[in-house]
Amino acid sequence: MEKTVASRFSRIEKFFAFLFIFGFLVPPFAEARIYLDIDAPTFVQIPVVLPKWKPAEKTPSSFSEKVYQILAVDLNLSGFFRVIDADHLPSSLRGKEGIPGVSSLQEWSPAGGEILLAGEALMDPGSLNFQLKFHLFDLVEQRHVVGKQYEGPLPSLRSAVHRMADEIVLQITGEKGVHNTKIAYVAQRGAGKEICIADFDGANVKQITQNQSINLSPSWTPEGRKIAFTSYLRRNPDLYLIDEDGKNLQLFSRYPGLNASPVWSPDGKKIALMMGLEGKSDIFLLDTNGGNPTKLTKGHGNEASPTWSPDGERIAFVSDRSGSPQIYIMARDGSNVRRLTFEGSYNTNPAWSPKGDRIAFCARTEGRFQILTIGVDGSGLRRMTSSSGNNESPSWSPDGRYLAFSSSRTGASKIFIMNANGFNQRALTDSKGGESSPAWSKRFE
Amino acid sequence: MCRKSLFGTILILCICLVIIGCPKKTTVKEEPSVQKEEAAKAAPKKEEAAKKEEEARKEFQTTIVGKKEPGIQGEVFESSLLKDVHFDFDKYDIRPEEGAILKENAALLKKFPNIKVQLEGHCDERGTVEYNLALGERRANKTKDYLVSLGISAARISTISYGKEKPLDPGHNEEAWAKNRRAHTIITAK
Repeated sequence: MEKTVASRFSRIEKFFAFLFIFGFLVPPFAEARIYLDIDAPTFVQIPVVLPKWKPAEKTPSSFSEKVYQILAVDLNLSGFFRVIDADHLPSSLRGKEGIPGVSSLQEWSPAGGEILLAGEALMDPGSLNFQLKFHLFDLVEQRHVVGKQYEGPLPSLRSAVHRMADEIVLQITGEKGVHNTKIAYVAQRGAGKEICIADFDGANVKQITQNQSINLSPSWTPEGRKIAFTSYLRRNPDLYLIDEDGKNLQLFSRYPGLNASPVWSPDGKKIALMMGLEGKSDIFLLDTNGGNPTKLTKGHGNEASPTWSPDGERIAFVSDRSGSPQIYIMARDGSNVRRLTFEGSYNTNPAWSPKGDRIAFCARTEGRFQILTIGVDGSGLRRMTSSSGNNESPSWSPDGRYLAFSSSRTGASKIFIMNANGFNQRALTDSKGGESSPAWSKRFE
Repeated sequence: MCRKSLFGTILILCICLVIIGCPKKTTVKEEPSVQKEEAAKAAPKKEEAAKKEEEARKEFQTTIVGKKEPGIQGEVFESSLLKDVHFDFDKYDIRPEEGAILKENAALLKKFPNIKVQLEGHCDERGTVEYNLALGERRANKTKDYLVSLGISAARISTISYGKEKPLDPGHNEEAWAKNRRAHTIITAK
């Protein structure tokens, strides 16, 4: 029998050789383990070690500091991580900067983390372009998970760090983060109310309207760059459109009576809103040019607050046709009306989760308002808040993993954000209050 | 023809003429004086009435105050003579005692047919923004319906809902809330 090269090795040795060769060809994160099941009603936060970022050559350390700060805040705000930042590292590790090699990963065990996130920041003082590099390491399995690089001009720095945080959240939870989103809301300004916008991390607070009127219920258009809202400028609650930078104010719908609480259909072709054309508030559809008003709700009740299902086939809304305001669901042509809420005497502000399965709303219990969620089939009622004051007006993040809402638990009403399981409730901005009616944007890519 | 009957006929005719003529004469004689008298009485009455109307109009006009609202267009006015009506919590029906107030408002509107009004529907601060917009819309429209049923032309009345956005009393108690649940009348043309 001829002796081949292969026959010199035993079967077992061949098997391991096979594994060794093909193991390398498979990219490391194709079988990335999901570290965190964030759909579970409760979850334990993943401890992430975050040493200081290293500034590249000729890059001021203040720049890498700034990147580090934005990233650390993003990771904290996501609610998925327990961030062990440089100040909280054991002294042996505190001074370490930049990206370690895989072989030195065991040095990080005293930090008590499961994940190590390290990075380098470069800013060219001439062109003012930056380059950010991050690497993610699994400290339990002692391996490199992923590394990525982000570049751009200085004005886009925050956005780049947010995209990086989104990527890190993707790696660890299996779904991209929402750090590149904004929240529009209403802010009290003297006797009036104006529309404002803030980034998800509370930065870049901007007042969008400047008309000293009463401006209400902001709502983002599907492409994500304009906001619809109701204003009493013309002594009638009319519907306006405005760019997110405050330009191009446009009167959109001015039927006599209410033109309020607008929401675009997911396919962008229709707007559902409250209109008072027939002497009481009903849910109507309008075309995107503001024409062709079509009444959806029937009967003698007062109808309010429409919200679309993510597939655009149904609308949830508030009706007091039973004698008290409750949440109902109907098909987009107004047929098949079904009552959703049966507990309590005041259930309003429905918001349909982008995941499609649950609706958030606010319910009056013990004289105060709390945020609840309920399955679309009416089952699984869950209470999200139980604070003092009133918690109202929930709005989902585009991935359905967070809720923004208004809360007066600290006195004046402020916008709060929490994970969709009710955890990590925190104020969006450090303003003195007077904030209400949050509307979460899509991701700004 | 018999002389006697002819004479009789003429006599009857004469008597008739006298009967017909006399009262006429009397009326003609009396009418001018009665008419004059009545007219003399009526003239001051008419003048008085016109004066009173003018005074009432002036008095009403003095109660009309311009209302300035930055951020909300339109020249509008208020009068203390046009009173608010109030509602129960979460309700929009007109209570009997409020009906009496609306009758007074309607009487004023009938008296001064040039006045046009806008009815504002308001809510107290409890409850959520959008549902309160709906409630305010209903309160304004119910009030309008009531005034129309009292004979005021619908064309003279417009409506607007402010929900809970413009409370009269900024307090956070039952007293303030009761004041804020109202339909308020403003004058859009005088």
